[in-house]
Amino acid sequence: MDPLSTSQIALRILAQFLPVWIALVALFVVSIRYKRRLGLYGKLFDSTIGMIGFGLVMFWVFTGVFGAMDLIVTHDPLAQLSGMKNKKPGTPLPSPEEGEYAWYLLGGDNLARDVFSRMVKGAWIVVQIAPLATLFAFMVGITLGLPAGYYGGRLDTVLSFLANLILAFPVILLFYLLVTPEIVATGVPQYMAVVLFVFPLVFFGVLIHSRYRAQPQRNRTMLAVVLVPLFLAYMSLINTPGSKIDFWPLDVFDVPGGILVVFVSVVFVNAPTVFRIVRGLAMDIKTRDYVAAAQTRGEGPWYIMLWEILPNARGPLIVDFCLRIGYTTILLGTLGFFGLGLPPESPDWGSTINEGRKLLSIYLHPALPPAFALLSLVLGLNLLADGLREESLRD
Amino acid sequence: MVKEAYDGPILEIDNLSISFFTRLREIPAVMDFSVSVMPGEAVGLVGESGCGKSTVALGVMQDLGKNGQIVGGSIKFKGRDLGQMSAAELRDIRGSEIAMIYQEPMASLNPAMKIGKQLMEVPMIHQGLGAAEAHARALQVVTDVKLPDPARILDSFPHQLSGGQQQRIVIAMALMSEPSLLILDEPTTALDVTVEAAVVDLVKELGAKYGTSMLFISHNLGLVLETCDRLCVMYSGEAVETGSIKDVFDDMRHPYTQALFRSIPLPGADKSARPLKAIPGNFPLPHERPPGCNFGPRCTYFQAGRCDAGDIPMEEVVGADRHHSRCLRFSEIDWYAPFDAGEVHAPSVPGKVVLKVNALKKHYEVAANALFGSSGATRVVKANETISFEARESETLAIVGESGCGKSTFAKVLMGLETATSGQIMLYDQDIENTPIEMRNTDTVSSVQMVFQNPFDTLNPSMTVGRQIIRALEIFRIGKTDAERKERMFRLLDLVKLPREFAERMPRQLSGGQKQRVGIARAFAGGAKIVVADEPVSALDVSVQAAVTDLLMEIQREEKTTLLFISHDLSIVRYLSDRVMVMYLGHVVEMGATDQVFAPPYHPYTEALLSAVPIADTSVEKERIVLEGDIPSAMNPPPGCPFQTRCRWKAQVPDGLCEAELPPVREIAAGHQIKCHLSAEILGRMEAVIKVAAE
Repeated sequence: MDPLSTSQIALRILAQFLPVWIALVALFVVSIRYKRRLGLYGKLFDSTIGMIGFGLVMFWVFTGVFGAMDLIVTHDPLAQLSGMKNKKPGTPLPSPEEGEYAWYLLGGDNLARDVFSRMVKGAWIVVQIAPLATLFAFMVGITLGLPAGYYGGRLDTVLSFLANLILAFPVILLFYLLVTPEIVATGVPQYMAVVLFVFPLVFFGVLIHSRYRAQPQRNRTMLAVVLVPLFLAYMSLINTPGSKIDFWPLDVFDVPGGILVVFVSVVFVNAPTVFRIVRGLAMDIKTRDYVAAAQTRGEGPWYIMLWEILPNARGPLIVDFCLRIGYTTILLGTLGFFGLGLPPESPDWGSTINEGRKLLSIYLHPALPPAFALLSLVLGLNLLADGLREESLRD
Repeated sequence: MVKEAYDGPILEIDNLSISFFTRLREIPAVMDFSVSVMPGEAVGLVGESGCGKSTVALGVMQDLGKNGQIVGGSIKFKGRDLGQMSAAELRDIRGSEIAMIYQEPMASLNPAMKIGKQLMEVPMIHQGLGAAEAHARALQVVTDVKLPDPARILDSFPHQLSGGQQQRIVIAMALMSEPSLLILDEPTTALDVTVEAAVVDLVKELGAKYGTSMLFISHNLGLVLETCDRLCVMYSGEAVETGSIKDVFDDMRHPYTQALFRSIPLPGADKSARPLKAIPGNFPLPHERPPGCNFGPRCTYFQAGRCDAGDIPMEEVVGADRHHSRCLRFSEIDWYAPFDAGEVHAPSVPGKVVLKVNALKKHYEVAANALFGSSGATRVVKANETISFEARESETLAIVGESGCGKSTFAKVLMGLETATSGQIMLYDQDIENTPIEMRNTDTVSSVQMVFQNPFDTLNPSMTVGRQIIRALEIFRIGKTDAERKERMFRLLDLVKLPREFAERMPRQLSGGQKQRVGIARAFAGGAKIVVADEPVSALDVSVQAAVTDLLMEIQREEKTTLLFISHDLSIVRYLSDRVMVMYLGHVVEMGATDQVFAPPYHPYTEALLSAVPIADTSVEKERIVLEGDIPSAMNPPPGCPFQTRCRWKAQVPDGLCEAELPPVREIAAGHQIKCHLSAEILGRMEAVIKVAAE
């Protein structure tokens, strides 16, 4: 068979993404039709910038999801086919089997794997880790930022100082330290996980307790319903057989040590910035009359922080959340690029860019698709944040 | 730029219509609006918020923003159509021929630039003056606006001046190039009454001196009476009545104007014998205006089939000077019919003592160094000094004073948000001055509640109205089940006269008055014995104020609540309170029954305060007493009497006693106490500040 021409490659790639296109069109049609009833999300569809950003982000989300369902990928991202090493985009397979896709659409890398499939699979890793890690960072930032801003004084001074200390620490160096075998052996990353992942528990516990404290019966039920599963998940998360923390009998799942380190580091470097934003917002909102009204009817400080202040700080926080997923995506790329955390054969974008980099002067094609993918996702997130900010200010 | 002489109308607005375009629809903000301002004339533009008065001002400045557009009519300045001018021509005119003064002085000044430089910019840009000349001119104008030490003021930054001084600078800036037209958009709303009185005097005086025409935008009828020659009443985007002050105030010819006057507390109104008459219903939203007369649905003279048939033109009132009304029936209505006061209530009788405050003091220590507070010198702010009073069941006690007088601090101590430095607060027989709110039991907390000032801030914007009231019930442990609490919440909504559907609404879907009602419902959720109302109506429109005030009174009658009414608005205080307590710099300077406080002898501060309040009644004569300077800082109070720095009676006290010694509290009549060194004889010679001309 002949190699594909450039236009043929483009057409075939577009065809491969067919499920994504269908999903995107369906999403946009429904959203635009009902945009007046959808609040801030609906308003997004009044802004061109916001729509482009949302489209880019959802493209990669759908790609990740469908890719994980093996709908888009043409080959196994880990399979090495002989004769395909460093081949140009559109190269046909030397001896395709029955039912096998006959081309490497974006060529092969230096281990003769399909660049296109690896890029698609890489999207799934980002789509899974980046929002979740950002969410954890937000929980930590919110749980510490609210009291710092609300109480002020010495508590604020101490917490702000700690935040500055962490922000001043070189990020890459921190990552290297965290994955160094000697340090892993001491259990430091695990202890950090123990501390950082307890915040969601604290957050939800306080959230529920402050809300229902006047009704003890319901309070107990709600706390049990939410906290018991969370606690089990937490214990399974931090408990890893054969490591420093290995005592919990009900270990339902294990997170690979590398992923845990990625999570810990992402949360660790993002939380201080979130802390600062939340602290600033809390300082502003605590002067409002409805906060004073809550104080005069004897509400506890945590109720005021979580139910009176936090919901009214959501606008800027949602915008920042979008931006921060973008930073986290880049951070994941950086970690992958340095080969930290994720397994070496992983198809994540950072690792593939790093592998492509080594032969960049001879073979350009393996490094470009993941780089472009990373760029477009982060660009999409930034545009989405811009659109949200713009639309939330308009009326 | 040379200004040409011109003797026609300075500003001629003809059938002006302005619309704003949002993504949903076109919103007409001003419709068919005409007004003209002659040279040297001051025209008031009066109306409630949202009636389009500020939009007219922005239209004159041709500064409507991206969404606003003039969709009909014309605005002529000295005979030239502003709509036809190029951007460069407009730039020439703004600031030199037309100047504008905004509500917030701090927002109109550049905080990073010294006052002198900002003032000098105006003549340097518009008249091409040199720096030295411009500086001389700035110095001259600052002297004109009566600021002390002009040279020092020119060399300071805006934040180093007080609010009143800043507003004077803004006025000075507007006058720098001697404009022909000055637009004042609520210029004194952000200021205290005594400062307001001084600024208003200044504006009037300068208007006469420079021969400037003025367009004075305000919601305060009293202020317009004091400053303007003519006025234009606006309602929902339309001018409903224009004419000279005398015609409109005494011979009004539009039902809205009449209703407006009946809803404001003028001297003579009384909560029991002659209550205010609120305008029923709500202000229509711009896109929900009724057909025909906009005021129709709220008008007592409404005739179906006639008033709602089509657009209503402005008609001239025969026999008056340029007096117009937008009413079809104005010649049929008997304007002098005595008005039906509605329900008259027997005055409430105060019951047993609920709250007793004894020599209460609250001092704050302000550390010189915030980070390491323990070291360095601390300064003491004396927010409250020896406050003593009693409040009885179903009594209304007004606490009057300007910002910084310590009334809010007192409220905080009472609520338990702060603890007292010394003294005693007794709620029934319980000491609460040292119990912070976390330590108070539910019963105490629910019996002392508060209604807040700013309706747009008093409700949590992200929680439904019903949820917020239910939360208060939960926290006060009222009702055993959710259903019981829900039922009780509905009854509270009934109590404040809101429809039950409002339980599902978000606060942003409510108007200011409705939000304030929810705030009141929330305060009464736990059957409060004492309600502290911190300026509960000052941020509301006049027509809504009466309704909310009435509601408070009605609930008070039913629940026998003690109302502590904090306010700076003496008209409303006179109307609804039984006793009045006047505060200045943390001291109670005068306290007594309402009649005693509002009649001589006064404390000199009360006298000035009474004189400063604008009253929208042409038959009232007031003595002008303008206080010099600003309220001293509570961090650094003057020695002796706190009021001695601004008191006009100081010379009457021998031996400089005022500067040396804090005056003792004296009882000059039963239940009427005063903190002043003036001798009984001089006090006896004081004359009434407000005189109602005999009719």
